[in-house]
Amino acid sequence: MAWERPDWLPRALAALLVLTLLAPVFGWAAGQVGYAEPLENAAEATGATEHATAVGTALFPDYGVPGLGGATGTFVSAVVGTALTLLVGAAIGRALGADTDRRQ
Amino acid sequence: MHIPDGYIDLPLALLFGALAVVVLSVAAKRVNGEISDARAPLLGVVAASIFAAQMLDWPIPGGTSAHFVGGAFAAILLGPHLGALCVATVVTIQALVFGDGGLVVLGANVFNMAVVEVYVGYAVYRLLVPYGEFRAAFAAGWLGITAGALTAALQLGLSSAFQYQLLTTLSIMGAGHLVLGLIEGAITASVYRYLARARPDLRPNAAPEVSA
Repeated sequence: MAWERPDWLPRALAALLVLTLLAPVFGWAAGQVGYAEPLENAAEATGATEHATAVGTALFPDYGVPGLGGATGTFVSAVVGTALTLLVGAAIGRALGADTDRRQ
Repeated sequence: MHIPDGYIDLPLALLFGALAVVVLSVAAKRVNGEISDARAPLLGVVAASIFAAQMLDWPIPGGTSAHFVGGAFAAILLGPHLGALCVATVVTIQALVFGDGGLVVLGANVFNMAVVEVYVGYAVYRLLVPYGEFRAAFAAGWLGITAGALTAALQLGLSSAFQYQLLTTLSIMGAGHLVLGLIEGAITASVYRYLARARPDLRPNAAPEVSA
C-alpha cells in the first residue's frame, strides 16, 4: 500500500521531541514537591500500599534505565516510549485503514 | 491512575479485563477499513503525544499531583472508537515496557482510561458542543478523567487490599481527580482549540469516514 507522508507530520514530530525533552524537567520538579497521586493517597489511607507488587519484567522500570542517571534515564525512556507508541499506533492505524487493494 | 498488581482482587481484574476486550473489539470492528490513508498516521501521532504528555507529572507544591491522561482528547480528535484503541495502545506499552500499571490488572487499567474516560469524555463533548467547542472540550477532559478515576476507585474499594473501604477510595480519588481534572480539561480544550484552528482538516468532522 502506498503511503503518503502527511504535511503536518514534521511539525507533529517536532512537538513530540519537545515533550520528550520536557519529561526530565517535569520529573525533577515533581520530585522536588513530593509527587503523590490520589491513587497513592487512597492506598495509604486504607493500608493497601504493602500489597502492591512491581512488574519485574519491564525493560525500563519506572521510566528509568538501569545504570543511567535519573534525568538521562527519564529522557531515554521518553524517547523510546514515544517512538514505540508512534510506531505501534501508526501500524494499528494502517491495519485498520481503508486499503482497497487489500480487499481485492 | 495506573493501578499496580496486588491492588485489585483477581475476579474483578478478570471481569474488567474481559469488558475492556469486548469494548475494544467492537471499537476495532466499527473503524476497520474506515480510516483514510492520510488520517491513519494520526493515530500513531496522537498515541505518542499522549504517552509523552503522560510523562509530564504536574508538580503541585504541598498537594496531590497527577498527569494528563488524554482519553477525552483522543476521543474528540479521533472519534471515540479510534480514541479508545489509541489510549489502550498507550496504557499497554506503559505496562509492558515501563512497568507502569500491573500486568494482571492491565485490562482494568485499559477499561478505566481507554474505555470509561474516552467514551464518557466523548459523550460529554457531544452533549455540550452546541454551547461552544472550547467549553465542551474542557468539560470532556474534566469529567472524563473524573469518571475514569471513580471507576478505578470502585474496583479498589471492592478489593481486599483496600479492606473494602469503598467510600474512602471513592472520596479520595473522586475528589482528587475532580480538582486535578480541571488541568486535564484546560489542556484538552487548549490543545484541541489550537489544532482545530491551525489544522481544521484534522477534525473528525472533516473526515466523515471515521464513524462516531
